[in-house]
Amino acid sequence: MGQCLRYQIHWEDLEEYQALTFLTRNEIPVCRLNIHDTFLKLCPPGKYYKEATLTTDQVSSLPALRANPFRDRICRVFSHNDVFSFEDVLGMASVFSEQACPSLKIEYAFRIYDFNENGFIDEEDLQRIVLRLLNSDDVSEDLLTDLTSHVLNESDLDNDNMLSFSEFEHAMNKAPDFMNSFRIHFWGC
Amino acid sequence: PVNFLQELPSYRSIARKRTNIPSRDKQSGTLLKPTDSYSSQLEEGIAENLNSQSIRKYALNISEKRRLRDIQETQMKYLSEWDQWKRYSSKSWKRFIEKAREMTTHLELWRDDIRSIGGKFGTGIQSYFSFLRFLVLLNLVIFLIIFMLVLLPILLTEYKITNSSFVLIPAKDIDIQCTVYPISSSGLIYFYSYIIDLLSGTGFLEETCLFYGHYTIDGVKFQNFTYDLPLAYLLSTIAYLALSLLWIVKRSVEGFKINLIRSEEHFQSYCNKIFAGWDFCITNQSMANLKHSSLRYELRADLEEERIRQKIAERTSEETIRIYSLRLFLNCIVLAVLAACFYAIYRATIFSQEHMKKEIDKMIFGENLLILYLPSIVITLANFITPVIFARIIHYEDYSPGFEIRLTILRCVFMRLATICVLVFTLGSKITSCDNYSCELCGYNQKLYPCWETQVGQEMYKLMIFDFIIILAVTLFVDFPRKLLVTYCSSWKLMQCWGQQEFAIPDNVLGIVYGQTICWIGAFFSPLLPAIATVKFIIIFYVKEMSLLHTCRPSPRQFRASNSNFFFLLVLLIGLCLAVIPLTISMAHIPSSKACGPFTNSNTTWEVVPKTVSTFPSTLQSLVHGITSEAFAVPFFMIICLVMFYFIALAGAHKRVVVQLREQLSLESRDKRYLIQKLTEAQRD
Repeated sequence: MGQCLRYQIHWEDLEEYQALTFLTRNEIPVCRLNIHDTFLKLCPPGKYYKEATLTTDQVSSLPALRANPFRDRICRVFSHNDVFSFEDVLGMASVFSEQACPSLKIEYAFRIYDFNENGFIDEEDLQRIVLRLLNSDDVSEDLLTDLTSHVLNESDLDNDNMLSFSEFEHAMNKAPDFMNSFRIHFWGC
Repeated sequence: PVNFLQELPSYRSIARKRTNIPSRDKQSGTLLKPTDSYSSQLEEGIAENLNSQSIRKYALNISEKRRLRDIQETQMKYLSEWDQWKRYSSKSWKRFIEKAREMTTHLELWRDDIRSIGGKFGTGIQSYFSFLRFLVLLNLVIFLIIFMLVLLPILLTEYKITNSSFVLIPAKDIDIQCTVYPISSSGLIYFYSYIIDLLSGTGFLEETCLFYGHYTIDGVKFQNFTYDLPLAYLLSTIAYLALSLLWIVKRSVEGFKINLIRSEEHFQSYCNKIFAGWDFCITNQSMANLKHSSLRYELRADLEEERIRQKIAERTSEETIRIYSLRLFLNCIVLAVLAACFYAIYRATIFSQEHMKKEIDKMIFGENLLILYLPSIVITLANFITPVIFARIIHYEDYSPGFEIRLTILRCVFMRLATICVLVFTLGSKITSCDNYSCELCGYNQKLYPCWETQVGQEMYKLMIFDFIIILAVTLFVDFPRKLLVTYCSSWKLMQCWGQQEFAIPDNVLGIVYGQTICWIGAFFSPLLPAIATVKFIIIFYVKEMSLLHTCRPSPRQFRASNSNFFFLLVLLIGLCLAVIPLTISMAHIPSSKACGPFTNSNTTWEVVPKTVSTFPSTLQSLVHGITSEAFAVPFFMIICLVMFYFIALAGAHKRVVVQLREQLSLESRDKRYLIQKLTEAQRD
């Protein structure tokens, strides 16, 4: 069991983070506090918080992400080489914060939903999304194909059975619930 | 084929626009580490759009953004002085706006409570509570308007803060009988009469500034000018109605814009449900399980609805005739139920008004209150029974499930809000009907209603108090015992059937819209009513929050936030329209009472405006007369119709172009796939 060196975030660092992300002044220290506690328990001794890293399992078990069916995709999109540095976590919190602009959220939503990472959301991705959403064992093939065909009918403009980024962006700009639901409060959990 | 698609120039330029980074490394799926080529490409990207968005909007991680910012700053040196100063000032302006926004979000009322409710129960219920907060703010602002325009001059004069005096113009050309206003004061006052007065607005409350009758002043004379109180009173009414309308429309515009753009069926977008279906802010596992089951239910229900709609489209004409005649019959039953309820309210109001005039002090305590509150009791009973009846009837009408829900809610909304109108119209008919002799003397029944506006205000006050008491009573005596029974006697079969309370959003919303409609109608007759409404809604917020957290379980069928917001504001708008009708009739048609109130010197309330206009200089007067004459109104109306037709034609043309472009797009895509296929075949050979 190690102890990370407990440093207060310097004022200049705070200013910089505030300029580079969508987080406000209050959210960064509290966010860090949560992460910092986890850092304290899990990271090797004697390391500065800026250099310490978390594994994807540790981030997946954060209270904000614990119940999320897409947590493995979120971790994969925001981590580098399967580890999270402090700034990776800040970047993740920035994208999911309330103040983030729609284009940023749509960009990351596309990356999260692209399970096979081929740059398009195809039928296989859609089926996996639906299975994650329904989270039940008895989903019939008919239901899956029905739902995927409805989604493609609505948003696939060039009829190639895949959603490119522009089509996805177009669909999400029209979806009224997207901005409200694509939000995570990392603090206060 | 996907490899080729990723090499296409269109794909690459979109990818570059997104992240200013070249194509992604397919194996690791992460962004490329910065290299030399990377930074030069970045510079290209920056040179392309030098006036680009702020750094935050780039989809990069923080270290890359830092590098980007350094590059941008070195680029800045090559700009002219003027451009540098422009960039700097726009940045500091944006920072200032952000700080201001941050500070205002701290001032937001109940922010943490509403957020935690959303995390635990979903965004539908969260939007109910933010709707309640909106109503608190609306009522507060309405009260501030009334306070500034009406109460402030009076308070300043009464408590001698400024050197002003009241102006009382004696009434001319009015029969002396109309100005008699007997304040009832009996000899022996029982101790409980204070309670009755508090609950019904009679007695000691009648002369306070709570009601219209207190404002029997024609003006307030300050040093330099005379403040025209009747005009201010009327303008405050118009101002708060206009402000409510504008604020509601502004709030609903965001949801409306999105709904208008879509060409698909309203509320039915699968993209929305699948990509934006999961609330990412859910934190506990039980809520997540509930969300999963609600999504399962919702998606299955949508597909089911599609199937039913297809079945409906395939109906034979015989069946259609049968269904339509059945629906006609059932709608007649619905109308009959509504008519019966309205008649019951009419009779209850008349009974209550007649018996109030008799020796109310000589009755026993309970009978007193019962007669005073009879209309409210009948309205509440009707509002409990009719939703049950409507829910039964709609099963036989054979609509699709989504439409069933909407129609039931619409009927309940209409029922709830129309009951208030019926009450007000009954009062109006009683006020303008005189039994033996005609109402030529004063224009209204001045024997029974010497100061009829105060009495209408008292009815509204009673409705509001009773509504508040009922909400508190239902929460205390129904919700909490139910929860206790379910927790401790869960072995009983009855408890297992009945189960724990669910937070029913439509009923709760109707309840608060009902309260708000009463407030809108009553604010003219009782200027302090919005303040009472603000306090009432604040208490209701905390009561409902406690009831939700301690007694309710989350419903398996959840409302979506976007649906909810649109629905709430639509119902509120219907309430506002229904509130304006009795107000306009009473202001424009019924003569104002001559014994009390600011409008003793004019025939009707509205007459103050023409009187004021006639004191304007003659050019302004003729301008106002010109604008309100038919010679202006008819051409204006025709021009508006032409403009509307133009926009409708334009929208139709745009829609056709969009359809053509979509067809073109799919043809192009087919060509592309064909070419790629040919290319792969050629490569193989």
